[in-house]
Amino acid sequence: MGRVVGIDLGTTFSLIAYLDAQTRAPVCIPGPYGSTLCPSVVSVGHDGKVIVGEPARAKLLKQPERTIYSVKRLMGRGVADVQDELKIFPFRIDPGSDNVIRVRLGDKSFTAPEISAYILRELKSWAEAYFKEPVDRAVITVPAYFNDAQRQATKDAGRLAGLEVLRLVNEPTAAALAYGLHRQKRGHVAVYDFGGGTFDISILKLISTNEGDIYQVLATNGDTHLGGDDIDNALLELARREIRDKFDVEFDHRGEAIQTLRKSLIRAKHELSTADKTIVQYPLEAKGMYIREITRAEFDELIRPIIARTMAPVKMALADAKLAPKEMDEVVLVGGSTRIPLVRKTVGDYFQRTPHCELDPDEVVALGAAVQADILETGVKTMLLLDVTPLSLGIETMGGVIAKIIPRNSTIPASAQELFTTGVENQTAIDVHVLQGERELA
Amino acid sequence: MSVIRSQDVQAEGIPVTSCWNCRAAVTGAHFCAACGKVQPLPTGASYFAFFGLPQKLTIEPASLEGQFHMLSWKLHPDNFVRASEFERNLSLERSSQLNDAYRTLRDPIARVEYLLEHLGVRKEGTTKQQAPPELLEEVFELNESLDELREARAAGGDVAVLQGRLEDAQQNFQEKLDEVDAELAGLGRQWDAAVDFGGDDSKKQALLARMNELLNRRAYIRNLVAGVAKELGS
Repeated sequence: MGRVVGIDLGTTFSLIAYLDAQTRAPVCIPGPYGSTLCPSVVSVGHDGKVIVGEPARAKLLKQPERTIYSVKRLMGRGVADVQDELKIFPFRIDPGSDNVIRVRLGDKSFTAPEISAYILRELKSWAEAYFKEPVDRAVITVPAYFNDAQRQATKDAGRLAGLEVLRLVNEPTAAALAYGLHRQKRGHVAVYDFGGGTFDISILKLISTNEGDIYQVLATNGDTHLGGDDIDNALLELARREIRDKFDVEFDHRGEAIQTLRKSLIRAKHELSTADKTIVQYPLEAKGMYIREITRAEFDELIRPIIARTMAPVKMALADAKLAPKEMDEVVLVGGSTRIPLVRKTVGDYFQRTPHCELDPDEVVALGAAVQADILETGVKTMLLLDVTPLSLGIETMGGVIAKIIPRNSTIPASAQELFTTGVENQTAIDVHVLQGERELA
Repeated sequence: MSVIRSQDVQAEGIPVTSCWNCRAAVTGAHFCAACGKVQPLPTGASYFAFFGLPQKLTIEPASLEGQFHMLSWKLHPDNFVRASEFERNLSLERSSQLNDAYRTLRDPIARVEYLLEHLGVRKEGTTKQQAPPELLEEVFELNESLDELREARAAGGDVAVLQGRLEDAQQNFQEKLDEVDAELAGLGRQWDAAVDFGGDDSKKQALLARMNELLNRRAYIRNLVAGVAKELGS
């Protein structure tokens, strides 16, 4: 049997990690470009060859019609689910898709799990080059708020990449694991995970017992369509509007030009995490140059509504855990978007404590996945994760009313029974329509 | 009635069976005392028995949580990744039962509901939806105010007074809810004493019946409060 690894399959970047047998510490594996971050970008060349990661990111500018980023947003979703995304993201959905979305890259079309599988294969090859041994089993992380279809799509991607998926672990839980090992802290921990495409909040309790540590998730909440991408899109909207007004230039939202503009705006966003102001320059060929200074204050105002959207899930998770913000012993930040000063300030103000960010927010999820992978692999249990179902489970009853049977934030595995009667006399069969979520009507 | 049959864990009527692995005698324990293998769930065992607790309504939250963590550590499917499929299923079954039992018993109201259901006093999913007679008048007024508010909203009229009236009603019903909870807690203590000191059957039956009435009343008032909150919030 080959090696077992932990993988963070992210919206923007993906990472692979393992547990070092000597030090018992998790480590991220670097790829051929020296970084442990593999851009979650896939591009299909004219010869049909698929490239992944850094070289694919370069193609985003040169061959946008053959290149895809943020594919995680499409995992486990149907065409009807992603109408809002399609207005903003340059996904080229195959017109033939209905339940399963197919994306066109050049002259071929792919499902989201197929594209994700290319990313997983790339990471697998990094690890195999590093170990000089085959890698065949993995723990993969998913946003805590992913539903069953999104989780299944992630498992499918693993299988397509030739990996046996030992377990899917929720990203904030994985982060808490890595962090708990690092700090040896006990008590209530809030993990605020603001990534490229998804937002999650998890409230955990860390308990030490005579036999080992228990990481009990008390509540989780989130938004699977809220992330750094939304900040990029807000900046992009601003720039497009100004360029339209001043230079009378309109962008095709799928074209190459907009990718170049997007790239410089993302750089500006990164700079504003440390600098008070930055300048964006974008050449408009004959029409001149779009030069724009963006101050931190203006940036903060622009993104304030996006950051505010993260706070509703935070409040709901705390209410479900029956805890007040000040009862948190630690607050941990995960995900690249938590580098933004306004995010840190908003979270710090709400919990009335300085959030922790001493572990690299990009790496921490993969590190936690590696810890869990090692436990499943070796059977040496030093800690136990008790996770929850993020969404309520129920069945559809007469008139489309949903009867919730297992409430959200129940520790899993869970079971429940409830008695239902048939709708008409002498009914001989029933269809059981299982539903996930908080709506009251199917 | 089956009520009195089950006063404590031993008396829950869990039959003595033999361990599927080593044939030693087991009586509902999670693991066989002889060979240590995880055991199937006995049929009809209660959530109380799962935690080794008597069927009483006062439960110390910290000790229940401690038990939950201890049992999670032992029963979680992670421990059985490499075991046979049969054992993996047993672990899954026991872990699910553990999580369901903990979710139910840690909540004082769910705990009473469960006890009544387990003892056959309360049928699952048969919460009475008609208004308790002594509340009829207030419920009638409340519904009237709700209708008026909806009409006023639709007509674009002044809703401040109506909203104030509804907030008062909400407050009033919330207080009633607190009264019900306090009375339930008192009955719970009486029940526990009857269990401890072998109170007579008819007294226990009366306590259970009263608790059942209170639960129905509670469910009804809670629906009202939730309905008003929803209307005020919209």
